[in-house]
Amino acid sequence: MKTDDLLLMAYVDGELAPDECREVEEHIRASAEAAETVALLRASRLDYKRAFATQKLPPVPDSLTQKIEAMARAHSNKSAAQGANDSSIPTPSVAPTAPVRSPPVRSRLRSVPTWLAAACVAGAFCGGLFLRLGPLLNTGAPGSGSAAMASAGNLSPWVAAAVGYQQLYTRDTLAYVEDNPQVSSKTVEDIRRDDGLALRIPDLRSAGLTFKTVQRLHFNNKPLVQIVYLPEKGPPIALCVMKNVNPDQAVAAQVVGTMHVVTWRQAELSYALIGKTEGVDLDALGKRISNREVDQLFSNATSVSMALAG
Amino acid sequence: MNGADLPGMLPDMLPRLWAFALRISGDRHDAEDLVQRACVRALERAHQLQPDTDPLSWMFSIVHSTWINELRARSVRKRSSMEWDDDFLENVADPVDKGPETQLMHSQIISAVERLPEAQRVVMLLVAVEGLSYQEAAEVLEIPIGTVMSRLSRARQAVGALFGTHDPKPKVSVTRKDSIA
Repeated sequence: MKTDDLLLMAYVDGELAPDECREVEEHIRASAEAAETVALLRASRLDYKRAFATQKLPPVPDSLTQKIEAMARAHSNKSAAQGANDSSIPTPSVAPTAPVRSPPVRSRLRSVPTWLAAACVAGAFCGGLFLRLGPLLNTGAPGSGSAAMASAGNLSPWVAAAVGYQQLYTRDTLAYVEDNPQVSSKTVEDIRRDDGLALRIPDLRSAGLTFKTVQRLHFNNKPLVQIVYLPEKGPPIALCVMKNVNPDQAVAAQVVGTMHVVTWRQAELSYALIGKTEGVDLDALGKRISNREVDQLFSNATSVSMALAG
Repeated sequence: MNGADLPGMLPDMLPRLWAFALRISGDRHDAEDLVQRACVRALERAHQLQPDTDPLSWMFSIVHSTWINELRARSVRKRSSMEWDDDFLENVADPVDKGPETQLMHSQIISAVERLPEAQRVVMLLVAVEGLSYQEAAEVLEIPIGTVMSRLSRARQAVGALFGTHDPKPKVSVTRKDSIA
């Protein structure tokens, strides 16, 4: 592009000083090419803004509006929660003006961050509208979502919901989760104190599972805890826990779509161990957890760093 | 204005992000996915939003870079504007209190911009339609400001070639915030 053209554009748009204008006008008189460019640029002075404002576009989809509102809300809450713990949470150093680079969108939900998944599902959990997530699941994992929902009839509703939630999880999801023992420890404390759940976070390293995060969710306005572990390979595995005063129930396994679900009830808590079947024997693992054959993490604040050190 | 305010601002920005995403992607499903992805990334990086950066143009930049990465991932060229689905990107102007001539003019303007080569079209959308400054457009597209200006000049000459014969008189100026003087 010739500098000339940029100067001519500025001239046409009335952005030059009077003496610059005079110079350009002399140039136009001397050059037919410049005069032609000026004519084209003048003809391009159109009301683009108004023209495009009248363009008939489809309205913003309700589903998108709801998702954005949910994630904005979730993020506001998250910011507020983090703000309250600023003294204990190390903030990562990030170049403030670094250009934003997004990973490819190969799969729509492949790398949905945890808090977004939580935001989407929290809405469904709270409103008892989990089935609305059906299309979302189908989008993320063609074929598997509908299969899961279709065969989930014999599961407790909360387990079906948790299975759906777990399908949103990939290893990429956990890439956004910071390993922060203080935060996890605080979450566990809050669950024990505020939600009244006598929660144990099983230490599953002996089964090759690394503790990643613990989250407070809700199902029908009741606390639901999701503990996420990462196996050496394959998608994450979750242990979900809800209060349930019914009698204890033995460990039982079932397959829901591509997910393996192991459930049991013990000491007024319902458990669901959820994951893909690759690599980890969830049935055996469920039995070990229910038999308290594994240690627990975050049994008290001082053990945190030690428990995670290995 | 900083990143902490971003969650509250996103719902209000949504219609413009949606329109921009639709216009650059030319596909309703891509646009929905794109806006969602961009909002996720923006909220994760809200702390990077500088007080002197316009949140909307910052969001445009995220929408745009997300789309570019998507195209790279798909390893396909952007479909040409001629292949767009007219069912949802109609160039017919909304007939609110406008005479047929104005409507025709508006739809011709939209068509002219849509026919531009992709790089020029995005610059026109940002500068002439969204009202971004050259500098803001340069930041959105991560290209030098001179490149923005040269693309804009080429784009305008191409559009001008379509309108020059029957509309010699300038209608309304291209508005933007800065000056190159």
